[in-house]
Amino acid sequence: MRQKNVYAAWFVLQFLLILSFSCRDTFRVVAEGPTILPRSFQNFSREAQAVLSIALAQKLPAGNPVREAVSTYVYVAGIETGYGYFAPNVPGSYVLVFEVHYPDGRIQYELPSVSSATAGLRIAGLLDSIGRTPYDALREILVKTLAQSVWRKHPDVESVRAMLSSVRLPTVREFEKGKRESYEFLYAYDFSLQNAPAKTNDQ
Amino acid sequence: MQRVKTGLLEFLFAPSTDTWLAVLRVGLGLEVTLYCLSLRNDWTYLLSGTARRLAEALLSLETHFVPRLGWLTSLAAQLGVREEKVLFVAWVCLFAAGCALLIGFASRVAAIAAWLLHLCAAKSGGFVSYGIDNFMTLGLFYLMWSPLPDRYSFDWRIRGARPKHPELLGFWRRVLQFHLCVIYFFSGLTKCLGSGWWNGSSVWRALIRPPFNIVDPEILIRWKYLFPVAGIFICLLEITYPFFIWNSQTRKIWLVCICAMHVGIGVTMGMYLFALVMIVLNVAAFGPALSRMERCTASLQPHKAVS
Repeated sequence: MRQKNVYAAWFVLQFLLILSFSCRDTFRVVAEGPTILPRSFQNFSREAQAVLSIALAQKLPAGNPVREAVSTYVYVAGIETGYGYFAPNVPGSYVLVFEVHYPDGRIQYELPSVSSATAGLRIAGLLDSIGRTPYDALREILVKTLAQSVWRKHPDVESVRAMLSSVRLPTVREFEKGKRESYEFLYAYDFSLQNAPAKTNDQ
Repeated sequence: MQRVKTGLLEFLFAPSTDTWLAVLRVGLGLEVTLYCLSLRNDWTYLLSGTARRLAEALLSLETHFVPRLGWLTSLAAQLGVREEKVLFVAWVCLFAAGCALLIGFASRVAAIAAWLLHLCAAKSGGFVSYGIDNFMTLGLFYLMWSPLPDRYSFDWRIRGARPKHPELLGFWRRVLQFHLCVIYFFSGLTKCLGSGWWNGSSVWRALIRPPFNIVDPEILIRWKYLFPVAGIFICLLEITYPFFIWNSQTRKIWLVCICAMHVGIGVTMGMYLFALVMIVLNVAAFGPALSRMERCTASLQPHKAVS
């Protein structure tokens, strides 16, 4: 009986955590908008999200033992995020094109390439992270990581320009009128073999 | 209060056979094996270098105790072993764990190894992880705690091993069932909050969005009147899942519809592994209850079924 009580207590705790993280992420979706809910819900959702983050020890300073314990458990159990996939709406995607410059003046264009479609889905996720991050330094490092693979493939190149664009998808009506997906230039990074930081060109 | 507690305990520890556990073990074994095979050529590229170190550094801001590949590479570096070799060994071990789960050989050890190595890969490759990794982590987490081995496994049939706590079969199944209910409810709820799922534009965008655009949009456009119907159907199917999956009369319909939805996602968006893990979790949690024989065995002789 005692063993059953222990398991039941764990069950309650587990589901409080799952529900709390799911609610927090749902409130985040509403707070960030746009949703079909009135705008007045945004403030409430922001506050509710903050309260849940505090309850889940996520607002404690990094290194705090309580925060570390909660974070460790939710990560190892796979319950650290909510389940709002492709919600509330399906976001646009991003594309990264490498302009490869050879010493003889030739220019070649390449996309980040992987061997399988499954790995391709992961690279697409990485491009979404690169496109959405508000941190310039993080974006540059991630783009540089992908550019390094171009270097490994073509060790004789002089420089590589990485151009990040967002993909604008046509609506059904636009598609029927002949419009296709279009690209909006966001950033470009120039890399050469020296270790100097990349030169950035914003839109 | 006592009656509520007793009722809760009876519900949580309802008798169950181990068929669901066999489905979960074989399904996740297949998932892990296919996951390894699909990434074998890109494994080192995705999990080495700066991106891995950056993902692990960001993870350390949250917690220092979540297993990661960096622990293995650092340890190996002190022994003079290169990062590529460590990653290759990790891949081989994960693949072997997947195969062992598939046949049920050393089930518990294989489940722990698969959970640990997949978690390391998912967290070290944080920038290249997506939803499938969460579902694999939670599936493997529940599998490794469940009373393995099941009666269809190599361990049971050839080695004669038996689970130590077969009375917990029903409990771990309830955990999985509840978790799936939460997943679908919140997935449906957040979709309902977006106008795109009501007017069908989200269905269209999901199908033409790179890299999920494997069906030609010229073909898709012929079915444009179905997009709002499909969008609303998906929202309602997901949000009502926790209410209709428990009822024995509606369970079959909801389970078939949810599995069909995941097959559709797999076929039309190329997310085969994601579809597989979701179908495995659903069938393991609610599938065996559809079988008449399963229901009779569970209600009449709960312990004989597993011991």
